[in-house]
Amino acid sequence: MPSQGDSRGGKIVKELNILIVGVGGQGVILMSEVLGNAAVRDGIRVRGSEVLGMAVRGGSVSSTIRMGDDVYGPLIPAGKADILVAMEPSEALRNIGFMTKSGLVILNARAVVPFTVSLGMSNYPGLEKIVEKLKKSASRVVVLDAIKLAEEAGSVQSANIVMVGALFGTGLLPIKVSTIRETIRERFPAKAAQVNDVAFHLGFEAYSAL
Amino acid sequence: MKLSVSSDAPGQKMFMLGNEAIARGAIEAGVQVAAAYPGTPSTEILETLSSVAKDFGIYTEWSVNEKLAFEVAFAASLCGVRAMASMKHVGVNVAHDPLMTASYIGARGGMVLVSADDPWAWSSQNEQDNRYIAEQGYLPVLEPSSVQEAKDMMADAFRLSEEFKQPFILRTVTRINHGRSDVLLGEISRDRRKGFFEKEPSRLVLTPAEARKDRPLMLERFDKIKKAVDSFPYNSLELADGARLGIIACGLSYSYTLEALKWLGLDGKVSVLKIGTPHPLPEELVKKLLGSVAVVLVVEELEPFVEHHVKAIAAESGIDVKFHGKDLIPLIGELSTEKVTRAIAKLTNTTPPVDFAEMERIRQETAPLLPLRPPTLCAGCPHRATQYAMKIAGKRVAKQLGKGEPVYTGDIGCYTLSYLPPIESMDLVLCMGAGFGTANGLAHVLDVPVIAQVGDSTFFHAGIPAMINAVYNKAKITMVVLDNSATAMTGFQPHPGTGRTASGDVAAQLKIEDIARACGVKFVEVIDPFDMEESIKIFEKAMRFDGPSVVVSRRPCAMLVQRDARKRGEELILYRVERERCDPKCSACFKLLGCPAIVRENGLTVIDSSLCTGCSLCAQVCHHKAIVEVAR
Repeated sequence: MPSQGDSRGGKIVKELNILIVGVGGQGVILMSEVLGNAAVRDGIRVRGSEVLGMAVRGGSVSSTIRMGDDVYGPLIPAGKADILVAMEPSEALRNIGFMTKSGLVILNARAVVPFTVSLGMSNYPGLEKIVEKLKKSASRVVVLDAIKLAEEAGSVQSANIVMVGALFGTGLLPIKVSTIRETIRERFPAKAAQVNDVAFHLGFEAYSAL
Repeated sequence: MKLSVSSDAPGQKMFMLGNEAIARGAIEAGVQVAAAYPGTPSTEILETLSSVAKDFGIYTEWSVNEKLAFEVAFAASLCGVRAMASMKHVGVNVAHDPLMTASYIGARGGMVLVSADDPWAWSSQNEQDNRYIAEQGYLPVLEPSSVQEAKDMMADAFRLSEEFKQPFILRTVTRINHGRSDVLLGEISRDRRKGFFEKEPSRLVLTPAEARKDRPLMLERFDKIKKAVDSFPYNSLELADGARLGIIACGLSYSYTLEALKWLGLDGKVSVLKIGTPHPLPEELVKKLLGSVAVVLVVEELEPFVEHHVKAIAAESGIDVKFHGKDLIPLIGELSTEKVTRAIAKLTNTTPPVDFAEMERIRQETAPLLPLRPPTLCAGCPHRATQYAMKIAGKRVAKQLGKGEPVYTGDIGCYTLSYLPPIESMDLVLCMGAGFGTANGLAHVLDVPVIAQVGDSTFFHAGIPAMINAVYNKAKITMVVLDNSATAMTGFQPHPGTGRTASGDVAAQLKIEDIARACGVKFVEVIDPFDMEESIKIFEKAMRFDGPSVVVSRRPCAMLVQRDARKRGEELILYRVERERCDPKCSACFKLLGCPAIVRENGLTVIDSSLCTGCSLCAQVCHHKAIVEVAR
């Protein structure tokens, strides 16, 4: 077995590639952080990557979380993303080239229209058009109003955790639900922890109810 | 149990950012001095160390620039303690001068330089490959293939540096620094040494006579390292029985290679040499691989550094193999499993399980549908206000003087983003400090106003000599310091103007205007950029001043203001559009300012209250007085 200094012997897991995308400030990085932390707690080998600094001031953000014993690189190769979690519709479309044909897209319906559209430098495609295009490259596209659910939970800021809840609602993750919930609760101060716990639950239920 | 970077929990696994893992490696090795200048993708290394510095008795500092960071660390090494400097790839250029001579002297306490390279220039002005800098200075390089290895190598580098008495370089790429992974923690050394400076002028005072004596000693040290690297655990050779193809993969490229081989079903059918020390290369392992295969593919990111050295080894030892490298692995863009898969597929006549051409077609087909979302100045960013006022003044002054459009030079920081429409405030951006530096040159050959911009942290980093140069050499330029009280782009690290140190202690707070006056500038004014009219007036005066002039535009970063307000439980006064007064056809506010908080909804101009920070700039540019404060 090739060595990179790491030990094996954790839980044996089939490769699962999750791509999380959105716009700066939507909490994309935090989503991958809690996912990665929870995976490690459950003894799952995990890799990921994100880009920071000038690349993200108000711009597109993407983060990868890859689980499985044969995963080495931090990036998901084109055509290998199993689940695309998008905090913003057009950002889902921007990353469509990473999806595997049997993949799943979970989409937050609320658009964040960039200033270039106001300035007339570019156009924003409608949600229907985006979903139609996504459906050509993925086997399933699910649209949620994460902002509404986050408001229900007590704070718009928890929309990212609503999406994490939905991601677990798919039942596709090798991480235990109790582990992710514990990780989320520990990640925030008391009051925010409660809001986010509810946000997770609402996202989970919303997906399960589909 | 929740683990942290300081957890004394050897054998446990923690999910870590690459830079946290590097910091952890240094903590495990018992580093005592760490110095850095912020720069993506290296920043979190010193940030992490600073956050636990007091618990471990580590001295950390944000140095004024990378040259200082290296000098601070190197001096500590000479006193026998373990020391490190971390910086982005272009930061090593700033530290290049001391680095090239430190290699003549060598290390006493373990000395490690972390060079964080940035392929695809995610957050940089170029993509230089610092393995060449290492080669130039006879400095050994460790290059990790994973976040885990980054931690292990960092911890080990201090020991190796002491064993071989030479500074070591840990060369990373963005996807290591900002990669994340489960990391197996090691033991933390609590060993602390007392600094002792042993005088040895014959080695430490680099006059020509002494330098000539130091050089053979440096070559000797490097030769010992060269002989040792074959047995370093970071280099490993896996020969596959009867393999025709051998792959030499350096650093992170090894991870991509392993994935590509598995993807193509070639696992165990191709010989693989993993390189963890690109400089010097493990020559015996290279020869063993070359001697066992007919075709070799060298996989590495950026330049063909390993490729050229491997070819030289083959030529010297008379081994005849067919080489591939940069003919199949692109020189442009970030490396990926996909690119490596394509290269191996081509050499082995195998078919990748994914139709890459089809994926590319989908990408190209969707591209025209996508809205442009370039990085942009935040809503309420004081830079937007400064640059807007500066450009209005520039236009007016040029017209009054009967001269052409002013030329605006810029520097490295958030404010560089406004080179884009609608502000378009920069015509030339080169490197840290060059905003003032290049303006010096322009002033002597152009007959238009020359206006130079630099941020506060960058001013301290490399702006001051250029300011003095303008005074001394009579460059009639207007120097604008955009002072937002933080190194904002990299995440609000303190600097000499903030009155705080890396570890949060109170420090002297240097005033940029005082420094400008001390440099001999005769026109120095401080403005509040949110007072637009006054700012334009002062910019005009500065641009008409007969001699170098300085305008310090001071307003804290909008993100800091929001953060502080939230902490204090205060609400900011926001703005809204008064429907009756707004002319929906006017759109001056967003066309002039490009503020992301001003959006068009169903043909109407609206201020997004979730983004607005209440800077009032749009209210000041609105001719219809249609933008007003939100009543509380």
